[in-house]
Amino acid sequence: MTVKRDTAVALSFLLAFLVLSYAVVEKDVMGLSKNPLRPLGEFYLGHAFASGELTSHSPEVVTAIVWNYRGFDTLFETFVFFLAIMGTLSVLRLREGQERMVRDMERVEPHRHMDLIVRVITRLVLLMIIGISASIALHGHLTPGGGFQGGSAMAVASLLLFAVFSKFTLERRGLTLRHTLGAYAVGIAIILLTVYAPLALGGRFLQINLLPGELGLFDLDVGEYLAVSFGFLSVFLILGVSEWIFRRILRGEVR
Amino acid sequence: MIELHLLILAMVVSFGFVFSYLAMKEHDLLKALALSSVQSTFFALGFYILAAPDIVLAYLAIAVGAYTALVILAISKTERFEVGE
Repeated sequence: MTVKRDTAVALSFLLAFLVLSYAVVEKDVMGLSKNPLRPLGEFYLGHAFASGELTSHSPEVVTAIVWNYRGFDTLFETFVFFLAIMGTLSVLRLREGQERMVRDMERVEPHRHMDLIVRVITRLVLLMIIGISASIALHGHLTPGGGFQGGSAMAVASLLLFAVFSKFTLERRGLTLRHTLGAYAVGIAIILLTVYAPLALGGRFLQINLLPGELGLFDLDVGEYLAVSFGFLSVFLILGVSEWIFRRILRGEVR
Repeated sequence: MIELHLLILAMVVSFGFVFSYLAMKEHDLLKALALSSVQSTFFALGFYILAAPDIVLAYLAIAVGAYTALVILAISKTERFEVGE
């Protein structure tokens, strides 16, 4: 009975999808084939790497739109991410004494060690991921990519670190919440500095094409890269505390 | 007028639909998570065919890496199996 219903649902989804794609592609319901390029798109393509006043010094039109023509969108997205991290911190943060208790309890917790082969291969793969994420972020103003894309690739690298070496090993080697939050704050500071810098040059807030060359886009990409990668890393560090440890500490708080 | 890349796009997105449906029907949350990351891989291929490499870079890293890890952490704090209809 349920199998029959499942097949019916799946087939109807596929049928709807087929009808929609037939209507859009063959019958041109949306009128997409008549105007392949809207006036706004023409403006962006013509101005992103031109020499006029409205240029943003970037052959990569997507990054030019994301950080220059639609800069406020991206800035507020960054602040939404900031609020999410602050929310996580304020809900799950621990006092200093509690942090010490967590460290003591994690020392007692049995540690699984991954195989030697896995650890060595992971080290190699990690280097590659970090290199690729840096290249995505650092020439995000020239090729497809940008700060957010590079930062999320870097978040994957930190996840691999978590899965293969435990959270405890990382913290013993000096990668604590304090450091990751510091790096996150550096990223946010770079973004804010770059965003306010045009005011000093006689421009408006976020008018980053006043800065020499593509410096504005590059700075914003670097700041976003730091902010996203270390923001994710600190969220993982907070959420990575084992549940039984967290419960015991919360029980202590109630008493 | 039907071009090859549109045909591949249709195939890839249909596979994505199938996997998202399977993920919705699955009661084991970890298996559902794996199915949903397969679905997002297919959708990322679709974005690539639609000539949006910026989206592909962010989408793959977020949907397969970060999102999956966050949900695994959340599952580890509750139970693995969905109970009841």
